[in-house]
Amino acid sequence: MKRKLFFKFSAPSNLTMITLMLIPLGVAVFLSLHFVTFVNINTPKFVGLSNYAAILTDPQFWQAFRFSMVILIIAVPIQIVLGFCMALLLDQIRSIFRGVILALILLPFVVVPVVGTLMFKQLFEVGGLVAYWYRAVFNQPFLFTPTSVRVLIIIHLIWYVTPYPLVVFFAGLQGLPESQLEAAEVDGASRWQQLVHIVIPFLRPLLLMTSMILIMDMYRMFDSIMVMTEQNPMYQAENLMMYSYRVGMMVQRLGRANATAILTVLGVMVVLIPFLRITYKNQMRNE
Amino acid sequence: MRYIKKKSSRIWIYLALAVYVVFCALPFYWTTMQSFKTVRQAFARKPLFFFKPTMQNYQELWIKSTPENFGFLGMILISAFVLFVILMVFAKRFRMPTAFTRSIGMALLLFTLIMLPRVVDTAEFYDYFLNSVIVTAGVVVISMSIGSVAGYALARYSGIEGVVIIIIALAFRALPRMAFALPYYSIGQATGLHDTYLIVILVLTAANQPFTIWMMRAFFAEIPKEIEESATIDGLGPLAAFVRVVVPTAWPGIISTGLFSLLIAYHEFLIVRVLTQSKWTLPVAIVQFTGGEAPGHMTLAAAAAVSATIPIIIIIIIFQRHLVKGLTGGAVKG
Repeated sequence: MKRKLFFKFSAPSNLTMITLMLIPLGVAVFLSLHFVTFVNINTPKFVGLSNYAAILTDPQFWQAFRFSMVILIIAVPIQIVLGFCMALLLDQIRSIFRGVILALILLPFVVVPVVGTLMFKQLFEVGGLVAYWYRAVFNQPFLFTPTSVRVLIIIHLIWYVTPYPLVVFFAGLQGLPESQLEAAEVDGASRWQQLVHIVIPFLRPLLLMTSMILIMDMYRMFDSIMVMTEQNPMYQAENLMMYSYRVGMMVQRLGRANATAILTVLGVMVVLIPFLRITYKNQMRNE
Repeated sequence: MRYIKKKSSRIWIYLALAVYVVFCALPFYWTTMQSFKTVRQAFARKPLFFFKPTMQNYQELWIKSTPENFGFLGMILISAFVLFVILMVFAKRFRMPTAFTRSIGMALLLFTLIMLPRVVDTAEFYDYFLNSVIVTAGVVVISMSIGSVAGYALARYSGIEGVVIIIIALAFRALPRMAFALPYYSIGQATGLHDTYLIVILVLTAANQPFTIWMMRAFFAEIPKEIEESATIDGLGPLAAFVRVVVPTAWPGIISTGLFSLLIAYHEFLIVRVLTQSKWTLPVAIVQFTGGEAPGHMTLAAAAAVSATIPIIIIIIIFQRHLVKGLTGGAVKG
């Protein structure tokens, strides 16, 4: 395809994407340097970097930052490992059950996130099934406390997101080099050795890419935390998105909320830049 | 890997999978049960598994008062809906292009949905549902029409600009939604677009583009170049060749990508919540039901949750293959 035609064809999409995403980023930088509430939304007052200073000295911001990191460190490895194990097991199913199981497994991932969280939460509320089991086992009612809400959020994120790596790995397993596996078997390699020396190296690019995507998605997770905490900072289970939402839409400090958003964008760059470099190299190799 | 034949090992495999499936499905099971209970039953000290189901929650959610005179208009609506189902199911049997038949079907469905409140006194939840339909349809149509052409161009062009655009798209895809939602709140206020369908659809379309062009590019790359080459020899221009020759062969990929842009639009909470006041979609409306102090909220929330999930379940049943293909093919769900 010629260069001119390429630009003609891709212009509508690229212009929409780039203008509608770069403009708000610029506006966010602008607003982050101003004092803005709902009242003076059209006449912001310039305050320099004081919004950033206010955030960086706010203990609630650091709380949110810590919890964002805790989610990444705990949830992502479990999602990857659980997804990988379940993909290996599902690969062993060759009957019609495969489709049925796959459909049920996909449910948490394709349901509206807000609704999924609500359903998950109902199990633990008064009258909920798991709350009842909890009372039967521990002989005390299940309470929503800062600790329990944080644990629930992490379990919910595992419930919600694991289907994604699972399906990706499952599809990857369908493309395994059969001849290599057969050769290894003839040489007397055990199943475990085959897994470690053939399957995992083969899936490495997929594992790497999925981990990066999960890290970025868990970092910007919002719906789940909002429903689970009921927008209440009491549970100390806010992440950075929730913090900036609350500061902006509930406390009405739009400047400060935009500054938080800018800081989170800077934060995501830590993962994003290596990821972009890897993708860039892969793409150049393919061209 | 090789199939495990040993009986005892297979039992363990099935058991482990069963535990995981129960883990996945339990919340759905429980909420569905709760949605058919009265408030008293839902809060029973010992959870009830067997009870006389009540439709009361669904009724309260969707309908203000039950219709008494279900006259002429009601009959038209029912026949429009029946016609819609017939057109969709037997689309391939008519002597018309399938896409044409399907779009007539969709028009009929839209007609039914919009006219329904004239016949039945629907509750607010129905308006939220309609908003969801409008926003989702708008996003899917715009996003797919500009996204598929761009994806095609990216798949066929080998210059460095293509790679750069793809990388920029990936960077946009990773950005937190908050970084757009908040500035758009201010932009909406300044331009008077706040609380319109237009701004929601535009912002969601833009947020959708990165993943749409990635996925469409992957699907178009699989289609051999010879197809459009022969079309250009027949005297078609590049755009005509794309629309008439390439698109028909790329339907499976377009459906996969369209499904995901549908899901993304249908799922969105944050952008809709921040940018609208009266045009809430289902996710925003459902959050209202959480954390309410009134006990009746719980069963209503359950009914709302189930109602919003039914379309998704229909989608899984019809399009499971496309969903899996989309997840793995594009691999960059946003």
